[in-house]
Amino acid sequence: MAPPAGQIRPAKYLGAFVLIVVALYSLVFFTGNGKATPKLGIDLQGGTRVTLTARAPDGQTPTDQALDQARDLIETRVNGLGVSGAEVVRDGTNLVITVPGADSEGAKRLGQTAKLNFRKVVGSPQPNAQPAPPSSSAPATSGSAAPTTTPSAPAGSENATAPTTTAQGRPAPALEGQPETSTPPASTPPATTTSAKPEVDCRKVFRGEYSEKPEDAIAESRACRQDPSLTTLDAQTVAQALGAFTCPTKDPLLGNDDPSLPLLTCDQKNEFKYVLAPVNPPKDGSVKDDDFSLYSRLSGEDIKDAVSGTDPQGAGFIVNLTFEGDGGDKWGKFTSANVSQQVAVVLDSQVVSAPNINEPILGGSTQISGKFTQKDAEGLANVLKYGSLPLSFEASEAETVSATLGLSSLQAGLIAGGIGLALVFLYCLLYYRLLGMLTILSLVLSGVVVYAVLVLLGRWIGFTLDLAGIAGFIVSIGITADSFVVFFERLKDEVREGRTFRSAVPRAWVRSRRTILSADAVSFLASAILWIIAVGQVKGFAFTLGMSTVLDLVVVFLVTHPLVAMVSKSKSLSSPKLSGLGGAVQAGADERALSAAKRAAVKEV
Amino acid sequence: MAQSKGSVFHRLYVGTGAFDIVGKRKRWYVLFGLILLVCTASMIFKGFNAGIDFTGGTRVQLPAVSASGPISTDAAKESFTKALGEEPTAVQSVGTGASATLQIRSETLDAAKVATLKTALNNDLQPTGGLDTISDSAVSASWGDAITTKALIALGVFFLAVAIFLALYFEWQMAVAALVAVVHDVVITAGIYSLVGFEVSPATVIGLLTILGFSLYDTVVVFDKVKENTRGILGLTRRTYGEAANLAVNQTLMRSINTSLIALLPVLGLLVIGVGLLGVGTLKDLALVQLTGMAIGALSSIYIATPVAVDLKMRDPRYRAQAARVQARRDNLARKATGEPATGGDVVESTDDEALQAELRKEKALTAAAGVPSRTGKAADARRRPTGKKHR
Repeated sequence: MAPPAGQIRPAKYLGAFVLIVVALYSLVFFTGNGKATPKLGIDLQGGTRVTLTARAPDGQTPTDQALDQARDLIETRVNGLGVSGAEVVRDGTNLVITVPGADSEGAKRLGQTAKLNFRKVVGSPQPNAQPAPPSSSAPATSGSAAPTTTPSAPAGSENATAPTTTAQGRPAPALEGQPETSTPPASTPPATTTSAKPEVDCRKVFRGEYSEKPEDAIAESRACRQDPSLTTLDAQTVAQALGAFTCPTKDPLLGNDDPSLPLLTCDQKNEFKYVLAPVNPPKDGSVKDDDFSLYSRLSGEDIKDAVSGTDPQGAGFIVNLTFEGDGGDKWGKFTSANVSQQVAVVLDSQVVSAPNINEPILGGSTQISGKFTQKDAEGLANVLKYGSLPLSFEASEAETVSATLGLSSLQAGLIAGGIGLALVFLYCLLYYRLLGMLTILSLVLSGVVVYAVLVLLGRWIGFTLDLAGIAGFIVSIGITADSFVVFFERLKDEVREGRTFRSAVPRAWVRSRRTILSADAVSFLASAILWIIAVGQVKGFAFTLGMSTVLDLVVVFLVTHPLVAMVSKSKSLSSPKLSGLGGAVQAGADERALSAAKRAAVKEV
Repeated sequence: MAQSKGSVFHRLYVGTGAFDIVGKRKRWYVLFGLILLVCTASMIFKGFNAGIDFTGGTRVQLPAVSASGPISTDAAKESFTKALGEEPTAVQSVGTGASATLQIRSETLDAAKVATLKTALNNDLQPTGGLDTISDSAVSASWGDAITTKALIALGVFFLAVAIFLALYFEWQMAVAALVAVVHDVVITAGIYSLVGFEVSPATVIGLLTILGFSLYDTVVVFDKVKENTRGILGLTRRTYGEAANLAVNQTLMRSINTSLIALLPVLGLLVIGVGLLGVGTLKDLALVQLTGMAIGALSSIYIATPVAVDLKMRDPRYRAQAARVQARRDNLARKATGEPATGGDVVESTDDEALQAELRKEKALTAAAGVPSRTGKAADARRRPTGKKHR
């Protein structure tokens, strides 16, 4: 019959475990900064977390390259805040900015990451007020501006006659200038609407009514507000279109405008309405490469730096702008061709500022001045400097956790874990007695390993422990303890069948090992899938859960089983009373007596 | 059944197959079918109480204690209205004692407004700890949807992966039965959420997903025993497949109860602390969903998974034929020994002894091959107990 099978040598397994623990803790103490503390998430230590989701125009997934580029740019920007320990992590199509510490509010403004373009202002901007009485001077001004709106017009003489919006020859953003009330009756639908695609009702769009579905709304906005004819029509019609247009309260086009088409839009405060020329000429070659009369060909990526400062020639603030690459060259050609015209800085389809071009600006650096407050100037400089992301983003989640709240969360998590552990300990002791002690020991050792791995992962792959992660650990106490339960119940089965504790151990082990492996495999599968697919905090939860499952196997194989084997060999320790198996022994004996009696009864008949 | 089986607890502890769970499966189907119906109806007609992550908005959180005593929700509301000129959506006080907090929810506010609001709240209410203790979070409405979509994708992938794994490890009938049980768990847990009206947050959705792992874990353990008990059953006439499965369920019953208790205890701690100390948040959301899910998951592995597996298995003519043979043998026995039931008196034992022996031998060979032969110390052992069995 069965030999005393599976004579494992417990010392070997335990030794391997000790080796692992020693190795882990030497890594903890002798590499990195040697501090044995895991990296805490901002919900445990306080700080700000902003999740930016890439806006996907046309429902396309942004490319990895664009996302990585955006990540780098935002990281530069975060570091510009001057806080330490800030981090930008890519999570699928999201960028998660984490800034620890109390002084981290600035991170939220980083959410205003956008696509930046330079577009020439066509015609005159109109105030977004409800139909104003037409002023007598209006037709004249808009008429004289007309030639500049035709792309075929040679750059030069005619442009010079166009009115500037500032009287003193000082360049200023249009919004600071006197509004040109060149408003024709706003109720008449502009001619442009007729040339749009028939299925889109541009009247609705111009009234600020868009479809519910984002894709449809974007398509509508593009069809009506990016009509290619906007730059070829005469000034009167353009002005009419402008007049009929209402600034939408929530613009679906935001960041989704096509740079090679004209754009009808408003400024960020919805105070003025603009018709803007395309950034880039059409690709069909109809426009010569050196024709900068309409096309700036400049986007935020051409900007090297932007700094705000005080105006050396007087009061007020200015923004100094430097281009990089052939950006300076383009800017020079564009400004030469459009002196006295306005150029709009367009951020996410909205006009941030629309300064006048006073003179050709060559040499790659330029100065924007106007009636800025210091804050305005700083804001504009930041927009210019950092608005050069290849994608536009939307802040999906922004959270600031105070250090006190973080601390109390951490405490609550630890207390919850402590209570959970204590309850499990108590139950195991009551139910399994000596084996319960082994369970507790194994759980504690498992905790020791988990902690070391946590610290190391924080150091190596930047794994941060957050509240969800703590919850994952607490939940995994159950999974870890369950492996022992499976083993011990098997042990009981074997003892019940009449085996001694000692001979039951290898048999129970072989059988429960299979169960533990398959059950842990399912559990691990669940957390792995969650981890791969999920976003945000969920990832932390899945990660800790999966990690504990793996470490659970290590502990069961290297600690629990050898210890039980050792106990089973010791005479005093393996007494039924201590091991908690007495009941099973008794039950097994009863069963056999019963069935023996029955069999005897059957025979008698 | 023999009367000498003893108390319910004893029968549970010993696991002799005394509870006829598989045999009375119709009853469970009807019972859980009804519960499922109620849950589905609640989800359809009552819906869920969507949290801030699904509706979008800003939540500001501050300590509910100031130097001059507790801060009332009305005072917070007033301060909010004064600062921004609009009403907050809701103000509530959560948690107890020193860690009590006030939570103010409103429409989504931009960063500047949040800063204004924080300053105003600090000036008006003067919470202990000052401005730095005020937390805020803003969530766009699409964020919750993004998480839910991902969760649903995860659910799909998970089901597929698990089905493949189980079908390979066990058999397709068991894979199907396990999935039925898991779907049942998810629907009931979600239904309970809808019925009770707990707020649904992304953490809840995630908690729901982890239940899957748990529920399956339980099911795998039970099925492992079923597999063991039914190995080679086609060649035997002692038990039908259903009876062997029932025995397996009974044998693992105590384990299932233990496991569930052990798993639930920490979650219970999590819930008590999550609600008691912090009021609301990730901890509470996760704990709540896990608590319900785990309890249901343990039940379903016993009452749904195994019976469904048996039903599927019994569609196979070979198993039906075997069941008929068992019946024939029993009838035969009954004719011989009038009135003596053949079932019930069996000693609990597994039928895969040969497989186990083979594995143990392999194990031993491996241990022997891996290490230095160490007979010396073991000689006494071998002498004392040559067979290793029937020692008592």
